[in-house]
Amino acid sequence: MKDVVWKVMNFPGDLGSEGRRALRKELLGALRASGCAVIVDLSRRQSLDHHDIDLLLECAACVAGRDAKLIFVAGSPTLRALLEVSRIASVVPVCNSTEEAFTYPQIAAETIHVPAHIKDMGAQQ
Amino acid sequence: MELSVVAVVPSRELEGACAVRFSSESASDGMAFGSSRKPILGNDVLKSWADRVRGLGVRSLWLASGGQDGKVDGSTLAQFVRQGVERLLLIKLKSYAEMDLADLVRFHSDRGNPITEAEDARGELGVCLLDRIALRSTTDGAASYRAADSGQMPYQFNGYAKRLLSATERQELVGDGLTGACAMKPLGTQIRDKVWVGEGVKIAPTARVIGPVYIGARTTIGAGATVGPFSSVEHDCVIDCGTTVEQSTVLPNSYLAPGLLIRNSQVDGRHLEHLRWGAVADLQPAQLGRRIEPRGSRRPLFSRADKNDFFSRPGSPFPWEFGTAPAMAQPWLQVQL
Repeated sequence: MKDVVWKVMNFPGDLGSEGRRALRKELLGALRASGCAVIVDLSRRQSLDHHDIDLLLECAACVAGRDAKLIFVAGSPTLRALLEVSRIASVVPVCNSTEEAFTYPQIAAETIHVPAHIKDMGAQQ
Repeated sequence: MELSVVAVVPSRELEGACAVRFSSESASDGMAFGSSRKPILGNDVLKSWADRVRGLGVRSLWLASGGQDGKVDGSTLAQFVRQGVERLLLIKLKSYAEMDLADLVRFHSDRGNPITEAEDARGELGVCLLDRIALRSTTDGAASYRAADSGQMPYQFNGYAKRLLSATERQELVGDGLTGACAMKPLGTQIRDKVWVGEGVKIAPTARVIGPVYIGARTTIGAGATVGPFSSVEHDCVIDCGTTVEQSTVLPNSYLAPGLLIRNSQVDGRHLEHLRWGAVADLQPAQLGRRIEPRGSRRPLFSRADKNDFFSRPGSPFPWEFGTAPAMAQPWLQVQL
């Protein structure tokens, strides 16, 4: 049985350059941690700008060829459309909610242990 | 009996309508297009109706402002009564229908009804014939005059018709035009099986064009891009390197950035409407797409002075209901067919 540490990270609705740098550091740090699975929750975003797209692509590049797991939660059809158009959805699974992300087949097959506080966090959203 | 014809154009789109040349030029040579007048496979729906009107022997067409949803102002019709018009054919630009208008006129004459609406199995098509008596009732203070309300039999149309009220319906018409399911043919040269291109199209040698597909005039398809199947990229667009457009429509003067995947969508400048999810996304903040300036000169047929009266008037909440309204200085425009 393989233990996977889950981390749900919110992508804030309004990000300044300072906040974006901090988020980038946090996101990439989590993804680089061995055996970590990260759910990036974009549901607070109404839209995405090119900085957001760059960061999401950087996350996708970070997990490529490694055992880290990454799932994006789009939250709205508009965001989902942007993720498809930018082809991010072709390389990273996109779910509609954090609950759906927890049951994503690839993740479920790992027989993972989701820490209770993270499960709660997902349920609250 | 002399027949006059009015095409009801949504008010915000009249500028584009004014710029249309009805003679022999294509929609791709036209100017700006509004939502119901965006070209479909290079064709202009207004022009397709104008061609049918020409088949009736009518030599001019009136363009009337009809509000956002094509509803017509009673004062517009009142002007026709004052002009002594005996019979009026009203065409709202809400559908594309391969209708024999002569048959509609025959049906109307045979029935002797003052008003005849055309409809198909899905309901009204936005085409209506009114005799003077019906026109007069619109100006005498009657709140409404609908064929259905008065129990008159509508003209049942059984041919090809497609409503153009949504991007999905437009995409269906694109598919039907590309596969020959309707009479609308892509406006351009067929360069191979089910592949049509307009004039001045540039396709990179490494781009893939998969039929059925239409690429409008002066559009550029970049290296490694894939266009089709069941897609229409209208005139003056740029599809940048590596971008895929499938089962989608890209409306005129749109730019799509490199490496995108456009699927089941309609792109209009910076806006993308996903046809399955019903989502509208703004591509510009993410630098994925934008509107590009039309190339070449754009000279409208009518002067600005002619159009002002149209644009300044708000739309009226009438479908085929007509009410009295203050007379306008010039609530319509006439174009020669």
